[in-house]
This record gives sequence, structure tokens and C-alpha cells, in this order.
Amino acid sequence: MVNNGFDQRGTVNIEIVHKAFSGSKGTLVALKDILLTINPGEFVCIVGGSGCGKTTLLRIIAGLETEYEGAVFLDGKKLTGTGLDRGVVFQEHRLLSWLTVHDNVGFGLAGRPPEERSRDIRHYISLVGLDKFEYEYPHQLSGGMSQRVAVARALVGRPEVLLLDEPFASLDALTRMRMQQEILQIWEAERTTVVLVTHDIEEAVYLADRIVIMSPQPGTVRNILPVRLSRPRDRSDREFVGVSKSVHDELFAPGEMPHLAPDDF
Amino acid sequence: MSTAEQDRRLMWKGATTESTAKPSGNTGRIYIPDRILDWIIPVSVLLAWEFLARLGMLPPNWLPAPTVVGQTTYQLALTDLLKHVGITTARVAVGFLLGASAGTLLGGVTGYLAVARKLLDPSLQALRSVPSIAWVPLFLLWLGIHETSKIALISLGAFFPVYLNLSAPMRQVDPKLLEVGKLYRLSGFQMVRRLILPAVLPEYIVGLRSGLGLAWMFVVAAELLGASSGIGYLMVDGEMTGRAAVILASVILFAVFGKATDWMMNAVGRRLLGHRAG
Repeated sequence: MVNNGFDQRGTVNIEIVHKAFSGSKGTLVALKDILLTINPGEFVCIVGGSGCGKTTLLRIIAGLETEYEGAVFLDGKKLTGTGLDRGVVFQEHRLLSWLTVHDNVGFGLAGRPPEERSRDIRHYISLVGLDKFEYEYPHQLSGGMSQRVAVARALVGRPEVLLLDEPFASLDALTRMRMQQEILQIWEAERTTVVLVTHDIEEAVYLADRIVIMSPQPGTVRNILPVRLSRPRDRSDREFVGVSKSVHDELFAPGEMPHLAPDDF
Repeated sequence: MSTAEQDRRLMWKGATTESTAKPSGNTGRIYIPDRILDWIIPVSVLLAWEFLARLGMLPPNWLPAPTVVGQTTYQLALTDLLKHVGITTARVAVGFLLGASAGTLLGGVTGYLAVARKLLDPSLQALRSVPSIAWVPLFLLWLGIHETSKIALISLGAFFPVYLNLSAPMRQVDPKLLEVGKLYRLSGFQMVRRLILPAVLPEYIVGLRSGLGLAWMFVVAAELLGASSGIGYLMVDGEMTGRAAVILASVILFAVFGKATDWMMNAVGRRLLGHRAG
């Protein structure tokens, strides 16, 4: 599993020294001393409460935040901004209302020859199970379907890393569980590295190879827990519950109350 | 089953029968479709007007009967009505095109570049606070009484709605959508073409429609203030010669042509917006 050579693509090395936001109320240290290596093809979940900087960490990997001290490397190459080697899914679907599902998925593929472009788009629309909706518009889709389109859009450029920022947080519980199963199937089919940010402990234990637990003020990595359960995982399984409990205990260490921190920044 | 439960079931049943019934107020009465309801007042007003005019209860030089207005329109059509309509439409078209183009250009530049906005927007907003008709004497002085001053006034009318409905929405495009563009490394130009313009298109079309509406309003003003042709001239002529029927016919022509161009603009807009929501 562990592979520090770059013969397989999708290794992410995170070396963030310091990331702060300055606002009218002063400076807020969002992240401090984060050292983390994510292996190729690994499914990593980042868990933490509001304001622990987990979204900021993901946005730095995505290249959407560039003002920070430190560096992030993808396959040994220092990242300087956004790029097609990383696919991103946000909490909101962020689809373009004036484009069909087909054109939304193909939004980032403008330069490709049309046949190749169409073929790739169809492949990923079908991978997320929306073949029948290829020419529908976003307002005709449910929340879960929209989020599937967003996943297809993130994957269509064949990125080395898929970054998901609380992608299922705004879906209802049943849809969320279906989407978690589907994202695992997609990950198994695509074998990309996946980094998923969530505040849902169960989601992290269900999905991850490793769970990165973060604590706030300033945002740091508190612990990294490997999840050595075979897939498909059973949420009511005793071992599953055991892992969930240890994540929970890490998040709320003795004598510590859940932080009342400002909302995710 | 307890009685309480029975009661609830009964209530529930009662509620469904009530909600599937026709809208309250119509129950047991004659149902009139909305399309017919729309026409009841205009048609009865016309009929009453015609009736009273024929009875001689309305002075014909003030308020001639609808049929007389119709006849007058027909007679005008036999002579030079087409010329007047053509000239007015041409003025609106040229004025609107100039005003809307300037509005699009300045709206686009101020919407995209913060510097341009800071530089231009306060002055334009200040100009907007002047009621546009107040410029007429100055336009007449500068540009003469002929076409140029009329076109300038119409352009000015069309300019502001287009400018305002492009500049402000462009600044307010959801930053979350712009981030999607950033993820795919779109250039500044691609950002405008692929994200910003499509995002503001609905507002922009609203701006074009109100610009066109104002262009029609201002062509009336321009032609009333001094013209030797156009529908507005017909109105003035009707007033001078005391022919109320001509004035009324012109009013109706303005309404018909204004509505027709608005309808065309709306059709173009709907086509551009495709199957979008809302």
C-alpha cells in the first residue's frame, strides 16, 4: 500500500507551516504545522469540527488558497495553483444553470477534440449513473443527482487526486449513504487518490483507509488513524463502532468540550 | 380503533374532499375561464363607449367612438401612415441600438474592471439622477431640431437600463461559480465568456427590454417636441387640427408597436435563455 516512489501517480505531500486569515477582527491562524503524506490510490478522510481548518487544508491542495507558508507537492512537483491534475467537489454542486448535464461535466475539457471529449463525458455520466439525464438542466435534478454530476465533472479530466469538501453534507441521510457507497465504487474503478473532508465520523470510518483527525485553534493534525476494516463495511459491525468511538474520543479528548469556533472559513 | 382515531380519520377524509373541490367561491356557480375574465372589462368599456358615443352623449370632437377611431386609422393607412410608422420605428431602432451598445460596452467594462467602475460609475450615476427629458433643450441647442437630437434623446433613454442591468449583475456573479472557472484555469477572457456573461444574461435581457420600452417612451417625447414626421407628429397634427380620432389612433399605434417590439425582444430573450429555470 505505502509507496513513496513516484512510479504510481497521485502522491500528495503536505508541508504547511502556517496559514492565517486576516480580517477586521484581527488575524486568525487557520493551520499550523501540518505534515502529511497521502499515498497513491489512498482514500483519506479529514475529520474535525467547525473551524479546525479542514476545508482550508483541502482548498490549499486544490490550489484555491495560495497565500500560506509552506508547500504542497503532487508526485514531487510543487503546486502553485489550480490544475486539472486535481478534481474538486464542493459541498454545493456548483453546476452552471445554463448548461446541460453533458456540458457541465465537459466544462473543463474545452481544448479536447470533440469526439474524445464526448466519449469521456458519456463515460463519466454513466459512471455516476445519470445516462438518462445527459441533456437535462441542473434545475431538473435532485440534490443527490446534482452532486453526482459534480463528481463526474471532477473526474472527467482524469485527475490524479480527487478532493471532496463535505460533498454529501447537504443531502438527506438515505441519499448520503447511497452516495457514500457510490463514491467507493467510483474510487475502486478509477483508483485515484481521494481526500474527503467531513465532520461526519461515521462517513469517515465507512470510507477511509486512514482518518486524519484535526483540532482547531490553530488547525493542526491531532492524530492519524488507519482503518483496517475490509470493504464493504457494515456500519453496525462491532469493529466499525469501535473505530468510530476511537475517532470520537480523539475529537473530544478528556476534559475538552466541542469547540465553539467560528464557522468554517 | 378508538373514537379519537375515528374522528381524526373522518376529519382527514373531510379535508381531502374539500381540497379536491373547485376553488372556494366558484362552488355551485358558473365557472369562467381566466382568458375570458381578462377580456370582460376592456370589451364592456369599448361597448359602453361606442354606445354612449352613438347616443350623442360624448362630444365627438373630444371622444369619438371606437369605430370612428378605427375608420380614421384606416383612412390614414391609405395615405401616409406607413411613412410615419416607418420613421418612428427607425428612430427607435437606431436610438436603441446606439444606447444599448453604449450601455453594453460601459456596463461590461465597469462590471469587469474595478478601476473602470470606480472611475466611471459615480459620474454615470450622477447623470442618471437628471430626468432625461431635462436634457432636451440642451440637445436641441447642440444638435439642432432634426434627427440627431431625437436619436440622442432615445439613446439616452435606452442606455441606463442596459448599463445598470449589466454592470451590477456582473459584479455580483456568485464567487463560488468563479472558483469553478479558476479550478479549470480559465483565462480572464474565458471567465467572462463562459461564466460571467451566461450568468448575467437573464438580467441583461431584462435591461434590454426596459431599454427598448424607454426608447419608445422617448421617441414620443422627441416627436412631440418638434417633428415633421412620425407617429408623434401625427398626434401633434391631430391636436392642432382638433381631430381627437387622429390622436387616439396614434396612441393605439404607439401601444401596438411598443408591445410588438417588446414581444420580439422577449422571444429572442427566451430563445437565448433556453431551458433555464425561472
